[in-house]
Parts: sequence; structure tokens; C-alpha cells
Amino acid sequence: MLSLLLLTVALSTPLILAAMGGFTSERGGVINIGLEGMMLMAACADALASPKFGPVGGLLIGIFAAVCISLLHWLVTQIYKIDHVISGMALNAIAAGGTNFMHLKFTDEAHKGSVPNFPTWVFYILAFVIPIVLWGYVRQTRGGLRLLAVGSDPDKARLMGVQPMRVRFFGLLATGVLTGIAGVELVAYTGVFTDNMTAGRGYIALAALILGGWRPLPALGACLAFGFFSALQVQLQGTPVFGISIPAEMWAALPYLVTIVALAGFLGKNRTPAGLGRA
Amino acid sequence: MSFAVRMKGITKHFGAVAALNNVDLEVAPGTIHAIVGENGAGKTTLMRVLYGALHPDSGTLEVEGNPVRFTSSREAIEAGVGMVSQHYGIIPAISCLQNLILGAEGGTLLNLKSAAERAQELADHMGFQFDWLKDAETLSPAGAQKLEILKLLWRKARIMILDEPTAMLSPADSAALFESLDRLAAEGATIILVTHRLPEVLDHCSRVTVLRGGVRVDERLVSETNGQQLAELIVGGSVAKHTPREAPIEAPVSLEIKGLTVKGSRGDMALKGIDLKVRHGEMLGIAGVDGSGQRELFHTLVGLIKAAEGSVILNDQDLLAKSPSERIEDGVRIIAEDRHEEAVIEDWSLDENASLGLQRLAPFANGPWVDSAKRHEKAGEIALRFKTKHGGLNLPMASLSGGNQQRFVAARALCLNPKLILAFQPARGLDLKGTQDVYDGIRAACAEGAAAIVVSFDLDELLEQCDRLAAMNGGRLAEPDAAHARDRTAIGRLMVGVG
Repeated sequence: MLSLLLLTVALSTPLILAAMGGFTSERGGVINIGLEGMMLMAACADALASPKFGPVGGLLIGIFAAVCISLLHWLVTQIYKIDHVISGMALNAIAAGGTNFMHLKFTDEAHKGSVPNFPTWVFYILAFVIPIVLWGYVRQTRGGLRLLAVGSDPDKARLMGVQPMRVRFFGLLATGVLTGIAGVELVAYTGVFTDNMTAGRGYIALAALILGGWRPLPALGACLAFGFFSALQVQLQGTPVFGISIPAEMWAALPYLVTIVALAGFLGKNRTPAGLGRA
Repeated sequence: MSFAVRMKGITKHFGAVAALNNVDLEVAPGTIHAIVGENGAGKTTLMRVLYGALHPDSGTLEVEGNPVRFTSSREAIEAGVGMVSQHYGIIPAISCLQNLILGAEGGTLLNLKSAAERAQELADHMGFQFDWLKDAETLSPAGAQKLEILKLLWRKARIMILDEPTAMLSPADSAALFESLDRLAAEGATIILVTHRLPEVLDHCSRVTVLRGGVRVDERLVSETNGQQLAELIVGGSVAKHTPREAPIEAPVSLEIKGLTVKGSRGDMALKGIDLKVRHGEMLGIAGVDGSGQRELFHTLVGLIKAAEGSVILNDQDLLAKSPSERIEDGVRIIAEDRHEEAVIEDWSLDENASLGLQRLAPFANGPWVDSAKRHEKAGEIALRFKTKHGGLNLPMASLSGGNQQRFVAARALCLNPKLILAFQPARGLDLKGTQDVYDGIRAACAEGAAAIVVSFDLDELLEQCDRLAAMNGGRLAEPDAAHARDRTAIGRLMVGVG
């Protein structure tokens, strides 16, 4: 039982961090399907840097890499007014190809086995603290209010003297930092970087954010639920159900099936930020 | 004498068109100053210059005796100028209190408790009631208007610009608004009122500036002018007074609604047993405060929502059994309430918008094909009908001003042999002449046998234009008795549900 709980937390952590990164972007009105690419970039940068600069250097460089991608998204969507989804897809493609190349080209053979990193519990704590911090931030601070306002109606916010581009810049900066931490966590958990190691977690985090109605605490809950079903399938794999043995692939599909059903059926009140994707 | 606002020689071009040409405006402190003019006369443009949202090509601006040069609204707000635009600046997804303080939060960390206290003080002072923590989407139009005024006070605006503030309000709410404005002016605030309703100017303002075609035509003391004279100054010619038809219409019934009941979006009943008959050639006006069920009535008639109970017969056919496209084929036409959401696609050209909703009908369709040559021809006719000003039929709808979009939408609804015209505020955003043109257009369709239902929040407009009046309140429809058929007070009472 305890192992199931621990596994749930471990599998949820990168999702929570990425979902919070999605929150600071999408709540300000910037659609962000590039979470996946930002995480992947951070993971690769961390794996390349930490053998040389240690865990702290690795984390900082990982975050820096994700921030670069994230601010590129800001530049493309806000200054050049390119469609948010197209920009996100392009960034994911750049990250997939770029990390593959850098991993092959620059990995230090001497450190191929495992890279030094923070213990994973540091990330677990962050994953539970950050949603609470963000929850307080949007309710209690000027920046948070402006983020909500810009995400709901950038034009009206502008009339009230708020600058949407500026608000979104800081939102995407935070997205970079949070997805950066998420990416580094993946490397800390497995010990190495492997190609496409994010394996769709950025999209699942986005689904959790939508499921949580673009609110930090419900999104945290949605990530935990996904983590729980992932942990459950790991534990149940190979267990026969009513005497029939179910293929491992079927079990592996369980968390995704739950996500689809939840997205389709339990969304309830529409909380989509009305300014999502609007200049 | 020092002025609160002094604008001299303001000129502003949009492309080759001069929206403002050497306009002067002087507003005395502590007064309500009206700015009147037709659509496109430059009223809103002039106000946006004063609010820092537009930069004039030339001209100077003084606020409270100091020369200023605003590069953004933020600077105007700092100088004490505030503006309530025609489409309110309230964000529905956040609370009333958050809306109030947005942009003027007074610190990095919000102190919601003290903000709520100060907000309550302001509201008490003005005699307004607010549930501060509720989402602003729950506000009525009148509530949103009040919140806008509080937003100006919150920002300590001393010069307040209100652009068509009563466009969405009931007579009672408008009267309350002017009571607040009179009080603010008495306390020293300067109020600039952009309006097209002359009674408001005559009853509440001290001076009036008339703009026509981007030029200041005249400025007068209200006490030295009258409605007829102002109307003539506005249009630049004499205005004929319209007289509605007095004799009752004897033609057969075209539309008959019996016991129509419809569920609202929140599970309550939006329509509670509506009974209504409209004859061929008749224009029925429905008065009422916004949200009394007018929207649901129209949406049910065009087929957007399903009726729970009741029947609707249009020209001997069961309307409710038909799909929206069949209803359009039968001649049901709507001039929709929300132009942006329901009537036009702003990125599409005028050509494309001309066929919107009518795309299955000739001449727009030719079998499964779009007949673009005929569509272009028809779009030209539609644009010409109410003199829509446009730069080319291939340009996007978004290139037109709101009033011109409205002209286009109204003309479209009247173009292909309409049988039942549902007009929701058909003259929204139009000037006196445009309003008369649109009503004359509906009248002409009625003369050919169509039935028309007009919803407006402006009772005077309905009294002036319609053959017969009814009032909606809380999902019920009531008609005044024969003796009071055109009695303003009697209908006003029905609007608020007092028989």
C-alpha cells in the first residue's frame, strides 16, 4: 500500500510541475502545447551539464534551456502573432530533434551510467508546495489578478491600463522555470537521459490542467489521479482478472483511458479562459 | 474662466479619411456636457483622443489648465480622465471587486479586505448595491454600468467620459443613472456624455456640442436650444416627424404563439406560457428590461432552443416541428441581438457575410454551388439599402464601424422575401436617420405581408415606430388594454410586472 502511494507521488511529480507551468501560461491566455518540448529540453540540458557543473549547475542550465524555449513561444505568439498551437507544435519538434542530436553528440562517455542530481524528494516537496503558492498568487497579488484578467479578456484589460504582453512575458517565464524543474526531475528519477523520455507527459499535464478547470489545486488533484492509475497499472500488471490474463499493453493504457473518459465526461462548468489564444 | 477639458484643433485621420477635422471642445468643470452627432460623426474618436487611446495628428489638449500629451490610457487615467466605453469594460470571469481594482490595485500584494471596505464606501455613497465577491457575469446591464462608474471613482477620475451609457438600460435604470451623474456633477466632477438620445441632453446636460462628419458644427447652452433644432443640426437638414399608423390592422393572423414555455440556461423557466398573435403587415414592439425572456423567445422562434411546451403556427404551418434551415426557407429572418456573436463573421468579407444564414437560398446558392457573381451583386444591394459605408465588398466585415455593420445586418435580414422578421434592437448603435431608415425598411417588408416583432429596450423608440406594443417581464408577455395601448406609463408598469 505504502509503495503504491510512493509510486503515485513519484509518477505524479513531473506532471504536477509541468501542469503548473501550463497554468501560468494558459491562465494568461497563451495556449501552450509546448510543455512537452520544454521538459524534454530541460532534461537533456541537465543530463549534459550536471556531470560538469554538479546538481545545482545542472538544474540551473536545465531551467535556462526550458526558459529559452518558453520565451521563444512568447516571442512567436505575442510579438509575431503566430497561432499558439502551431508555435507549440514547432517547439516540440525542435526539442525532439534537438535533444536527440545533443544527446548523441555531446554526452560525456565517462558519465553515461548516471548523472549526479538532487534527491527526488526535493522535487516531491516542490510539486506539492508550488500549486499552493500559485493558488495564493492569483488570489492575493496584483500580478495574479492581472494574469486572470489578461487571460479572460486582453482587450478590456488593456483599457484598464494593463499590458497583456508584459503580463504574458512573466507568465511564460514562470512556465519555463516550472517545466524546467519538471524536466530535471525526470532525469533525477531515472538517473539518465533517454531520447523522448518525456513520453507525452507534457500533454497529459495539459489534460490535467484542463480537467482541473485551469485552477492550480484541482489540476494538482487531476495529476495525482493520473499518477495513481499509472502506479496501479504498474502494480497490477500480470495479475489475472477473472482468470483471464490481460496483456501488459492493456494495463499500460489504463491511465490514458481514464484521462480520456474524465476529459469527455466530467468537465462540468466551462472554465476555459476566454482570452485563450487571443492577441 | 478655466476649463476642465480644453481640446483645440484636433485632427485625426484614419488612412485617407478625416475622422476629426480641426475640432474644438471646451468643457466647464462640474457640468454635464453632451456630445451628439450621427454615427461616424467622430464622437467616440474625439473621446478616445481625450482618453489617450488614440493619438491625434494635430491639435492640443489641456486637462484642468495643464497642457498634456497622452501616449496611453494609463497616462490619461493618471491625469484624472476616465472613460466608460459603449461595450462595457467588465470582465465577466472575475469578481466584481477584482474588476473594480484591476489596473489600480494599489500595491503588489492585494489587500482584498480593505479594498472591499473602500469599495463598499463608494457604493454606499452612490447608493449602489453590490455583492463584491460574486463573478461579474452575474451583473445585469444596469449593474455593469454602475460598476463602471465606481471604477472611475476608484481611480479618482475627475473627468468622466460616458459613451452611450443608457443604450442597454431600462427607463428606470437610466433615470437612476442620471440621478447619480447629477450628484457627481454637483460634487465637482466633470461629465462628458456621448449620446444619441436627445431627451437625455435636454433634461440633464448644461451644454451640448454637435459634431457632423468630423467637424464641430455648433456648441450651445442646452437652455437656449430645443430638440427639433438639435436634430436638424445633427443631420444637417430638417427631420420629418414619423407618425405611427393609428387604425388597427384587420389582416389575417400570420404568427400565432400559444402557451410557449421554454427552459432557461440555469434550469429555471425563461418563458412562462407566452400567448401572442401577429397579423400580416403588423409590426409588434416588445418592450422590457434586458433579460426578461426576449432573447429566449427569439432563439426559440429561429430554432436555436427547443420549446418545452406550447405551439407556434406561422402562416398555417407548425414552426416548432421544423429545423432552423427549414424555418429560414419559410422566411424567418432575424436581426440578431449580438452582432459579433450571432450575425457576422468579422474575418469574412462583406460578400461572404451577405449570404450568411441565407446560403441555401437563391441567388446565393445554385444547387450545391455558391454563385459568387450573384452573391457579389446581392451584397452590393444589401450594402446600398441602408447606405452602409464600406471600402469594398471584398474587405473583411471587421473593417466596418459598428453602426455600418448593423446597417448591413439589418438590410440582409430584409433582402430575400421575409415572412417573419425578428428584430432585436434593430437600430442598436445607429443615429436618428439610420434608425428611421431601418424601421422604414421593416415597415416596407410588412407592407408586402410580412409580420415583424421588434424587441427594444428603448420604449420611446417602440412607441414611435410600432403598430402595437406588448411588454415582457420575467418570462411573461403582457399587452396593455385597448384604452392604454400607447400609454407610456401603463406599458412601463407592465415592463416591471405591475399590472
